[in-house]
Amino acid sequence: MSPAPPEDSLMNSFLDDYFAECDEHLTAVRRNILALEASPGGDRADKGLLDELFRSFHTIKGLSGMVGIKDAERLAHQIESYLGILRSRRAPVTPAGVNTVIAAVNVLEQVIAARRENRPPPTIVTVLEELTALTAVAERSGGREQHEAPPAPATAPPGTAPAPSPALPAAAPPPAPDSPAPASSATTPTPAPPATAPPPPTLKEEELALLAEARSRGEGLWWCEFVPSRELAARNINVNVIRGRIEERGRLIHAAPRVLPSGGIAFEFLAAMKAGDAPPAAWREDGVACRRYVPEAPPLAAAPETETAAPSAPSATAAPAGSPPAAGEEKAAAAATPAGLAPSHIVRVDLSRLDELMRLVGEMVISRARLEEGLRRLEGEAAAARLHPLQETNLAMERQLRDLREAVMRIRLVPVGEIFNRMQFVVRDAARENRKEVRLQLLGQETEIDKLIVERMMDPLLHLVRNAVSHGLEDPEERRARGKDPAGTLTLRAGTAGDLVVMEVEDDGRGLDLEGIAAQARRQQLLKEGESIDEKNVLEILCAPGFSTRAAADLTSGRGVGLAVVRDAVTELGGSLDIVSRPGLGTRFVIRLPLTLAIADALIVAAGDQIYAVPQALVQEVIEISPDRVSVMENNELLPYRGGVLPLVHLRRLFRLTGGESRQLHGLVIGVGLSAVAVAVDRIVGRREIVVRAISDPLLQVPGVSGATELGDGRVVLILDAAGLRSGKR
Amino acid sequence: MENSEHYILFTLAGTTYAVRSGEVQQMDMVEQITPVPNAPPSVEGVVFLRGQVIPAINLRVRFGFPKAPYDLQTRLIVVRRESRVVGLIVDTARDFVMIPAATIQPPPEGIAALSGRYLAGIATVGERLVLILDIAEVINPADIMTTAPESAQIQEEREDEKRR
Repeated sequence: MSPAPPEDSLMNSFLDDYFAECDEHLTAVRRNILALEASPGGDRADKGLLDELFRSFHTIKGLSGMVGIKDAERLAHQIESYLGILRSRRAPVTPAGVNTVIAAVNVLEQVIAARRENRPPPTIVTVLEELTALTAVAERSGGREQHEAPPAPATAPPGTAPAPSPALPAAAPPPAPDSPAPASSATTPTPAPPATAPPPPTLKEEELALLAEARSRGEGLWWCEFVPSRELAARNINVNVIRGRIEERGRLIHAAPRVLPSGGIAFEFLAAMKAGDAPPAAWREDGVACRRYVPEAPPLAAAPETETAAPSAPSATAAPAGSPPAAGEEKAAAAATPAGLAPSHIVRVDLSRLDELMRLVGEMVISRARLEEGLRRLEGEAAAARLHPLQETNLAMERQLRDLREAVMRIRLVPVGEIFNRMQFVVRDAARENRKEVRLQLLGQETEIDKLIVERMMDPLLHLVRNAVSHGLEDPEERRARGKDPAGTLTLRAGTAGDLVVMEVEDDGRGLDLEGIAAQARRQQLLKEGESIDEKNVLEILCAPGFSTRAAADLTSGRGVGLAVVRDAVTELGGSLDIVSRPGLGTRFVIRLPLTLAIADALIVAAGDQIYAVPQALVQEVIEISPDRVSVMENNELLPYRGGVLPLVHLRRLFRLTGGESRQLHGLVIGVGLSAVAVAVDRIVGRREIVVRAISDPLLQVPGVSGATELGDGRVVLILDAAGLRSGKR
Repeated sequence: MENSEHYILFTLAGTTYAVRSGEVQQMDMVEQITPVPNAPPSVEGVVFLRGQVIPAINLRVRFGFPKAPYDLQTRLIVVRRESRVVGLIVDTARDFVMIPAATIQPPPEGIAALSGRYLAGIATVGERLVLILDIAEVINPADIMTTAPESAQIQEEREDEKRR
């Protein structure tokens, strides 16, 4: 668990959304930059790509501003400015320009990642300067026209600009930092130098004084915008209510209405709140969008295009279902909700919510088992004709619950393309750095795997891909000399095989130098004299600690470096890593992983000084055991249970446990009918979802234990197994 | 330099043993061993090692020495043999030495009674006499399960039986 950042939990949940959304946009950015680079350069660059890129950075800028990550906001702003010039055809797309954008994207990613991991952010100065210079040059190169002139007509050649884009509202409102709507600066391309821009001109002098006072007290400044609508009014939410809410949480510095380009109306508020406090995220549902107010930030540039695009896209997210479309107002409301820019048919869900859903399904499974038990007891008592429909319903429920469980598991699956697309960018970068020519081939991108696995596999794949480009593939000259295509091929392949998902990273490079590796391994005592090296043990040697020396790295084309990390990540997920090398023809890494992690609901119980996990599915019921009701018959302890008796098995005795407080008041009813037993434990600790790990060593094949898990403290907790426990009755 | 190998030295009840360093995956402090019920007596329990669940064998019990409480010197030597990874609990492990193959003698028959079965050889390192272990035999599951000495656990079970 990482320590909580100083912000409160609201801010954190907001940040989670921010990271997820940035991830999505950056993924799109990477894809589009690659496409842009592949498309004809100069003036013929694909306008659609530029538009999409522009919009992505615009959104990232807005989002970053909202969460107060100023560096990200500035970077995105500067990239957006440059792209704005390109897309209006005022300057051609150049390789140097694309490279600078790529460098800037890398830094932008690092800035965001640093915030996510609470690390100090990288410096953005260098890349920002590069971008600014680039923008200035682009500006001059296309500067035939006088852009400084007020409401200049569209600079794009007639015919290429979509009709609505140059249509600036006559009375452009002052730029409100949180809203993508107001448009003004896209056609006045002054790359506003950061930190010198004045605060929004709408602040009066006394308001500025209040502002300064609040800042000196270290209070947080929040800029909120409320867009009223009929639907909100129906819920009695109007500007006075919102104003009241803001005043409840802090001091109002500034409040003013303004007219939206769509003709609707919005209310701006600037409020000072106690440090660490933040407007509740729930306000968003009431038409209030808030962001941290950063006075020294440059007024945000907004494109006319965004203004027309935003209202149409997100109406599904902004408008609650069933509300009548109230044209102008609703569009305005949508425009004020930046989150609404995400594709409307995708819902982002926190994994923990899915876990919760799974837990509920588990509870229903148990309830149904009880129902079945009840029905069985009715047999013989109630007329079969009346019982039958109930039994059928019960069976149907069982089936449906199984389907439901599966469906929930499927929600966790995401296409592997999510990582593969990212690799395109990595490959491109690595190829440039190493002066290699690389053709990337992606196969089986639609293969779906568990989200958690996708997350954990990102770094290992990144590593394999980088290594393949920098060391596996030869230089173009060397390849030519060997009669190969000067451009190497790197193939990323994914597919399923039974319960496994197989991922491969294959290059057509030089392959592993097995002899060289063997010689080095012998020098380091990792290989006996006379022992030979082959595909089976080469991986072990490459992963051996100490083998990844510099000499070894050169020798094995760098495969040793970090390969252990890759293997560990794979085995941790219950998978395996293999290596296939054909000298002179290439190397292939094969990763096999379980399709989904084996996750089960389990009861955590204590017996003696030990903790065990019992899969929920095994447990019919948890009962209390009162010692005076236990009777002993021929060495068996029996417990009256629902009109019959149950053999009682003491886990303490069965496992010869000592220590802890022996109370044995709880019994887990395991199995049904004649094979059922009650397993007495000292304490029920709780219910948890556990990741099941196999126990494979022959020394550990003992009755009553089916696997192991851990509950977060690094300690192994054994998972009990029903058959073994039942056989424990004597 | 030719024909010599690196070994890791450890001690157990005053005797010094050696394992080939190539067979040692890593060394750890001993902590948080989860006992496994009804496992062979020398299997102290299980630990997580990079997400894998591996058995931890108490070498004192395995070799028939009396058990000793863990202290700061106690180490878990993790050995890998083919696909198996097993932890060995030893009194202390420190040295990393090179032993020329020529100085390794076959184990004298006289000590075969104790740990002789697990010995690959015997060598002299400096002043010390060192027993070189055959790891494959040390972690041989069939051997561990069948040759368990009459341990306290089994006696306990007998008493348990009597009480009933």
